Amino acid sequence: MAIVDRAKSLSAALTYRGREGMWTWILHRATGLGILLFLIIHVVETATVIYWPQLYEGFLDTYKSAFFRFAEVLIFFSVVYHALNGTRIIVQDFWPLAMRRQRQLAWAAGGLTVLAMIPITFLMIRPLLGGPEPGEERHRQRIERQQATVPATTPVVQVTP
Amino acid sequence: MSTVIAPAGSARGQARRGGGYEQPQGRRSNFELYSWFFMRLSGLILIFLSLYHLVWWNLIVGVEHLSADLVRERWQNPFWRFYNVALLLFAMLHGLNGLRYSIEDYVRKPGAQVAVKAVAYTLILTSMAIGAFALFTYNPAVAAAAR
Ligand code: HEM
Ligand code: HEM
Repeated sequence: MAIVDRAKSLSAALTYRGREGMWTWILHRATGLGILLFLIIHVVETATVIYWPQLYEGFLDTYKSAFFRFAEVLIFFSVVYHALNGTRIIVQDFWPLAMRRQRQLAWAAGGLTVLAMIPITFLMIRPLLGGPEPGEERHRQRIERQQATVPATTPVVQVTP
Repeated sequence: MSTVIAPAGSARGQARRGGGYEQPQGRRSNFELYSWFFMRLSGLILIFLSLYHLVWWNLIVGVEHLSADLVRERWQNPFWRFYNVALLLFAMLHGLNGLRYSIEDYVRKPGAQVAVKAVAYTLILTSMAIGAFALFTYNPAVAAAAR
């Protein structure tokens, strides 16, 4: 049996599968590796929250920057696409009949990703255009609760029944 | 069906058009079979773990409202630390095995492949250990002192 090398170079890797199957596969691999790269940095960065909270706040400033908001949308997209396409692969593995509808299912995974990303992108980018940040109301209530529980420093008039 | 054959020396199943690999036949060693199954199992679990994490921080809390205090508040609840341990473990191991597939595809010289794998595994396992350390040793009293 001839052994066909699966990928001798990047260009070979990018061309040998052809048609939709090739693109879904490349995107699945690229998103998987992209999420992994982010995850390694993200986990080390989050671990500083206990012993170096100031350092952690510095990292959070990055998350809040305009540029990184686009990165967050990209990360969100990667996870959504990888999850939906991964589900397709799993369904095809355990339900062989689905293999016959492989092309349609691949398009469905891509289509659902785009559909889901429309409102998500809107909500995440809107603050850059002067719109409200998600969770504004939650945040306000949290600040109010905090102020209510520290009367020692702030002379809050306590209404006791 | 598939015209593409897995590289020599790999017990992985055949690559399939459209992504994924055929279920490998468990012969001498069942490792590839377990790894194939683990990718599917962890993938299914990660759908819920990772998507909820993203929806929570990006769409419900809002990144502008993130703070060290907010994270510590969440970590007071052992459930969320356990949740993070699960997310950390499954995402890292799933990603590690996925990266192994890619390395075996792109780095064909045996010596170079071992070297690249060693670097990749060290990087991933070290960051995983750091993350697990933070979650397992979380102690509200210590955290409050380090403010
Ligand atoms: C959200 C739920 C997820 C699902 C349903 C899922 C599913 C899958 C499936 C079915 C495969 C193919 C395995 C095979 O070919 O045998 C795969 C590959 C992979 N996944 Fe995931 N996964 C998910 C999340 C993640 C995450 C969070 C990461 C990053 C840490 C990741 C990284 C990878 C990588 C690097 C590959 C290898 C890609 C390749 O060989 O082409 N996945 N995933
Ligand atoms: C870009 C969007 C993301 C934001 C804003 C974000 C935010 C956060 C925050 C605030 C924490 C600390 C609080 C907590 O315990 O939940 C955290 C921890 C964590 N996140 Fe994310 N995250 C993002 C994406 C991801 C993705 C895509 C993954 C995995 C595939 C992930 C995996 C984790 C893990 C494993 C931890 C726990 C780290 C540890 O202490 O070991 N995050 N994230």
